[in-house]
Amino acid sequence: MKRIISMLAALALVLALAVPCAVAEEKDNWLHIFYTDDPESLDVQATTDSYTIPLNCFDRLVETDTVDGEPQVIPGLADSWDISDDGLTYTFHLHPGVTFQNGDPFTADDVVYTVNRMMDPVNLTKNYDLYYGIVEGAAEYRDGESDAGVTGVTAIDDETVEFKLVTPCASFLSRLATPGGAVYNRESTEGVEDFGVNPAVCFGTGPFQVTEWELGSTVTLTANKDYFKGAPAIDGIVMHIVSDADTQRMMFEQGTVDVFNFDYAESQLQWFLDNGYADQIVSGTRAGTYYFMFNTAIEPLDNVNVRKALQMAVDRQTILDQMYGGEGALLSSFIPAGILSHNPDAEPIPYDPEQAKQILADEGYADGFDMELAVMADSKTSLDISTILCSYFQAVGVRATVTQYDESSYYDIRRDGQLPSYYNSWSADYNDPDNFLDTFFARHNTVGRSVNYSNEEILDLIDAAGLMTDADERLAAYQKIDNAVVHEDAVVLPLYQRNHLFCLSPRVQGFKVSWNGWSDMSFYGITLAD
Amino acid sequence: MVKHIAKRILVTIPVLLGIVLLIFFMLQVVPGDPVTVMMKEHLKEDVVEGLRQSMHLDDPFFVRYYHYILDMLHGDLGTSWKLSRPVTGLIAGAFPYTLRLAVAAALFSWIMGIPVGIISAVKKNSLIDHLSMGVSLFGVSMPVFWVALILQNTFKNVLPVSGVKSWTGYILPTIVLGWSSAGRIARLTRSNLLEVLRNDYIRTARSKGLSPLKVITRHALKNALIPVITVMAIQISSLLSGAVITESVFAIPGVGSLAVSAINNRDMPLLQGTVIFTALLIIAGNLVADILYSVIDPRIRVD
Repeated sequence: MKRIISMLAALALVLALAVPCAVAEEKDNWLHIFYTDDPESLDVQATTDSYTIPLNCFDRLVETDTVDGEPQVIPGLADSWDISDDGLTYTFHLHPGVTFQNGDPFTADDVVYTVNRMMDPVNLTKNYDLYYGIVEGAAEYRDGESDAGVTGVTAIDDETVEFKLVTPCASFLSRLATPGGAVYNRESTEGVEDFGVNPAVCFGTGPFQVTEWELGSTVTLTANKDYFKGAPAIDGIVMHIVSDADTQRMMFEQGTVDVFNFDYAESQLQWFLDNGYADQIVSGTRAGTYYFMFNTAIEPLDNVNVRKALQMAVDRQTILDQMYGGEGALLSSFIPAGILSHNPDAEPIPYDPEQAKQILADEGYADGFDMELAVMADSKTSLDISTILCSYFQAVGVRATVTQYDESSYYDIRRDGQLPSYYNSWSADYNDPDNFLDTFFARHNTVGRSVNYSNEEILDLIDAAGLMTDADERLAAYQKIDNAVVHEDAVVLPLYQRNHLFCLSPRVQGFKVSWNGWSDMSFYGITLAD
Repeated sequence: MVKHIAKRILVTIPVLLGIVLLIFFMLQVVPGDPVTVMMKEHLKEDVVEGLRQSMHLDDPFFVRYYHYILDMLHGDLGTSWKLSRPVTGLIAGAFPYTLRLAVAAALFSWIMGIPVGIISAVKKNSLIDHLSMGVSLFGVSMPVFWVALILQNTFKNVLPVSGVKSWTGYILPTIVLGWSSAGRIARLTRSNLLEVLRNDYIRTARSKGLSPLKVITRHALKNALIPVITVMAIQISSLLSGAVITESVFAIPGVGSLAVSAINNRDMPLLQGTVIFTALLIIAGNLVADILYSVIDPRIRVD
C-alpha cells in the first residue's frame, strides 16, 4: 500500500514537472499546416486530389497566378513559348540552368519523359486527359494502338521542347499549368516503383522537397535553397495529419498549426467568429460554382418552363447567409468569377415563388408533381442544402423528396444518366470555360453527368468552341453557351460561389489566397514573423 | 499444463479462419464499387477497368477468399489501395504506437483502479466510497470522444492535443483510454475484496491481533485480486483494439487511425487487414487470460 502511494506521488511529481514545458512555444521558421488524411501519393499523375505536394515540390512548364486580380498564365520552367499560326505547334523555351533537388540538370528530355509516363497505359495514371486526344499520338499510345510513345512531344535541344497538337486547343496552356502537368526527373524516376510513396526518390524542381513522410502523422517539406526562382523565406512546411475537426481547432489555438483551412473543418467557422478570431480570417473568391442540376430526361423536368419556375422558387441569398455566413456571392451564370468568359452582367435569376406557382399552373401542374433530389449519403452539408432546396420546391407545390445514395451508387447511377436532379459543386481545375461547360454539357459528358442536355445548336457550339483559336470569338461562344444552359434552356440553377476561408496565425505573412477551386495551394511566397 | 495450452492454441485456428471468412464476406456485400469511389469526379472507364483487374475485383468470391488465405499464411495481407503500400508493413509501422498507448492506459487504469477499489472496500459505505464509486461509474459510462473533448479543452494550454512526437503527447490519450478501464477495475476490486473480507480466515487473522493494514495486504488482497488479474489480461487486448476513437481524436498514427482512414477511403485490403489483426489480438488476449487463470487457479485445468 505504501509503495503504491509513493509510486502515485512520484508519478504526480513527474507530471507536474513535465507539464509546464509540454506545449513549447514553437517559434521556428517552419510553416505548420494540417490535413485530414495522408496524401494519396507523391506522384501527382496518380492522384486527383492531393495537390499540396505537386504545387510546392514540382514545377510545370507554365503556371497560373493571379495578376491584377485576374488569373493568368505566367512562365514556369519555360521562360517563353511560341504558338504557330495554325495553333497546332507550341514551342517552349526552357529556363537555363534549372536543377532537380538531387542536383540532376533539368532538360527538355525530362518533359518528353513526363508526358510519355503520363500516357503509358501500364501506369494507370488518373490525369491523362491533360494530353489525351490533344497532343499527337497521346491517345493512340494510351489506348494501346501504338507503342511509339507520344509522337507529338519532342526535345528540339536541351532547352527547347515542342508539342504538336491534333487540333487547336485554346485551353492547352491552362491545362499544362494544372498540378498534373508537374515535370518529373527521368534520371531519378524512370523504372522506380516506389516513386509515389518514398520521399528518398522523389525529386522535383520546386521550392520545397519532400524529405519525410511519417504515415498518419506528418509530411515534411524542406526548403530547396537552390530553387531557380530564389530560395523560399521559410525553412520548410510540416503537414500534420489530423482527422478530428475539434482537435484541429485546438492545435490552432495552441499555436501548433499556423494556417486553419476551413475547407477541412467547416464546422469550426462559427467558433472562430464567436471567439475573437474574426480579424485573423482571410478570404478570397473560389473559382467554383455551387449548383442545382436538373436531369432533363425526367418528366416533367423535360419542360423548360417547369425548370424556369423551379429556378425562381429558390431564395439563394438566404441559403448562402444561413449556411455560410454570407461568405460568397450569388451567381447568375454557370462560369464563376475568376474564370475566363465569366459574365458579370448576366441577367439575375429572381426569387419569385408566386410567379413560379403561376408558371407551373400555366404548364398544367397546378397540383404540383413528384420530384426526387439525389444526394450522396456521406455529406452532411449536401444533405442540409438539398433539404432546404426541397422545402423551397415544396413551397411552390412540388412534391419534392430527398433520396440519399451511397457514394458508389451515386456515381454509378449518374454515369448512366439516371441520377435524379442534384445539388453539388464544381471547382476549376484550370482557368478555362471548357473546364465548366464541356465537363457538364458537351455531348460526350452530358449523359454521364445526368444532365441529358439536348439542344443540338448549343451542343454543336460547345464542340466548336473547343477548337476556336480566336480568343474573342471563343469568349463570345462560351458566354452564349453559358446563357443558354442557365437562362434560355434553364438546365442548371447556379446558386453561388463561396469564398476560400482561412484563419491565419499572426506570424504568417504574404499569404495569398489562390485563384483556383482546390483546397491545396503553393506556400512559396510566405514569410514567418518572429 | 503444456497439453492444456496446446489445446487452447489449436482451438483458435478454426476461430481465426471463421473470422477471416466473416470479415471477407461482410466487406464484399457492402454495396458499391470501390473503384468508382476512388475515382470520384474524375471517372475514366479505362482506368476503372484497369484498376478493377489489378485489384482482382472481377474474380469470383471464393477464388478471392482462397488467394487471400494463402497470401495471409505467407504474411501478405495485400496492398492498400489508397496508400499503395503492403498492408502488413502499414500495420507493423502503426502497431508500436497502439501498443505504447494501450500499455500506458492499462498501467494508468491499474494504478488508479486498484487503490481506489481497496479504499472503497475498506471504507465501505463512507463518503469516500460513494464518491469514488460514483466517479468510476461515470468513467465506465462516458463515451470516449466526449471525455477526450473535455480533457483537450481543459488542458489545451499545457498539454499537446494531438500527435505523439514527444512523450507528453501520450498523457491525455492515456487518461482518456484508461479512464473507463480504471472505473471497471475499481469496481471489480471493491466487490471482490468485500467478498473476501467476509471469509473466516480474515476473521482469524484479525483475531490473531494483526493490524487492519496487514490483514488487507497480507491476506485479503492476494485472493481478491485473482479475478482482477485475469480481467487485466483481457483488458490489454481490448485496449489495443479499442483505441480507434482515441487514436483518431488525438491524431496518433496507430492501427485504429489506419482503420478509420481505411473506412473513409473504402480501402478494403487495409480494412480487412486491420480488422483481422485486431481479432488476432483479442484471441491472443483471451488465450493469455485463460493460461494465467489456470496458472493461478489449478482447478480450472481439470474442467
